[in-house]
Amino acid sequence: MTYLSFVKYECLALYRNKQNLFNALLFFVMVSLLFPLGVSSEEAFLAPAAGGIIWCATLLAVLMVVDGLFKNDFHDGGIEQLAVSGLSFAWLMLLKVMIHWLATIGPLLLITPLLGYMLFLPTDSLVVVLLSLLFGSPSLFLIGSIVAGLTLTLRQSALLMLVLILPFYLPVLVFATGAIKAQQAGLDPSAPLAILLAIFFLSLAISPLLTAISLRASLAS
Amino acid sequence: MSWLWIHKLGSPKFFYGFSKRFATPIFFSGLLFSLLALGWGLGFAPSDYQQGDSYRIMYIHVPAAMLAQSCYLAMGIAGLVFLVWQMKMAAIFIQAVAPIGAVMALLALVTGSIWGKPTWGTWWVWDARLTSVLLLWILYMGVIALQNSLEEKVLANKATAVLSLVGLINLPIIKYSVEWWNTLHQPASLSLIEKPTMPMEMWLPLVISILGMYLFVAGLTLWRMQTHVLLNEHKASWVKKEVLNNGI
Repeated sequence: MTYLSFVKYECLALYRNKQNLFNALLFFVMVSLLFPLGVSSEEAFLAPAAGGIIWCATLLAVLMVVDGLFKNDFHDGGIEQLAVSGLSFAWLMLLKVMIHWLATIGPLLLITPLLGYMLFLPTDSLVVVLLSLLFGSPSLFLIGSIVAGLTLTLRQSALLMLVLILPFYLPVLVFATGAIKAQQAGLDPSAPLAILLAIFFLSLAISPLLTAISLRASLAS
Repeated sequence: MSWLWIHKLGSPKFFYGFSKRFATPIFFSGLLFSLLALGWGLGFAPSDYQQGDSYRIMYIHVPAAMLAQSCYLAMGIAGLVFLVWQMKMAAIFIQAVAPIGAVMALLALVTGSIWGKPTWGTWWVWDARLTSVLLLWILYMGVIALQNSLEEKVLANKATAVLSLVGLINLPIIKYSVEWWNTLHQPASLSLIEKPTMPMEMWLPLVISILGMYLFVAGLTLWRMQTHVLLNEHKASWVKKEVLNNGI
């Protein structure tokens, strides 16, 4: 096995399980639609809240994807084969996370403008929303993969994952919505966006190693 | 003087015998200091010119908040030690200290909220310091939940070690939140290097109560660690001998 064949296999596996990705996207749209129906459909409420709503929905959708990140491979023994394949386990897992990120966030970015329009998101804010998603969402996947590795052996892991992951997701959420708020207040959003990038690089540095450690621990048990 | 005894503490058996002598005196001296400081702080320290008597909750709030952070720092370092050197005692330490830290974080939140009502006029604000301490509490609860839900002992130890290590990132955010953002919460009035910003009669009981709380928590942690050592090593012959000779 080479890194390239691993990437091919992962893409194929993702494509054949496309229902999972579709479910996550559907979930993203559904959560966003709860707010206009549940709180208020007035433009005065939605226009300033749209960025936050989109981000909360993204966060929950990512949580769903991340929870199932290693599940299938763990149950069919695929992860074990990767761990003993002789290739760097950390790199393989980083590749896997990157592929899943691309497959989830790509379509999500595509439907965000439409959703933004439905939520009365001001047109000038759209670029900042998309940028914040682009810079912030990789960190969500990278941090999530550590915790997904830890909870792999549990049958009902989703609830525990929420508790474990939330403290790490909130900074991303705060700075992402901070950038959107800054833009809407007429300020320069580049500082919070830069912090989002910084969080991304930090998690990029730590995550593969710790994901490999936590997955190996789960495999050994 | 030989430092050999330090790395001997990595052995559960040696640790048990070593800590058994210290846990009780540390715990009770902590209790004594705490009661002394509380009596002094609540009864005899002068009122604040601005906050009146409401500031006195500081004698619980400040030590609790400091302990909540210190316990997490120690827990995160223990997580690193466990992952790098695979020391069993580090995992036992994490397991023992997490609930104590959680209680301290909750105590800091509750007393802070009670203090906030008369001084800020609100029980809760979403400012950086309060939110990050809330996150610290959630982190503690996550560590406890993870430890309890993973049945495989080895995996549970490793998982909590990873989680507490990653959670260390929250500590600088708590510490500097009052300087990086505009918050209602005041910056620290205690410092090791600078002259205290409050009069001696207020400052001294505070320092004693902090010292007392640290000792109190240290004693509790040692006790909890001893319990976990006995539970983990219940098959070892030395545990049987120990329990038969000295009781629990």
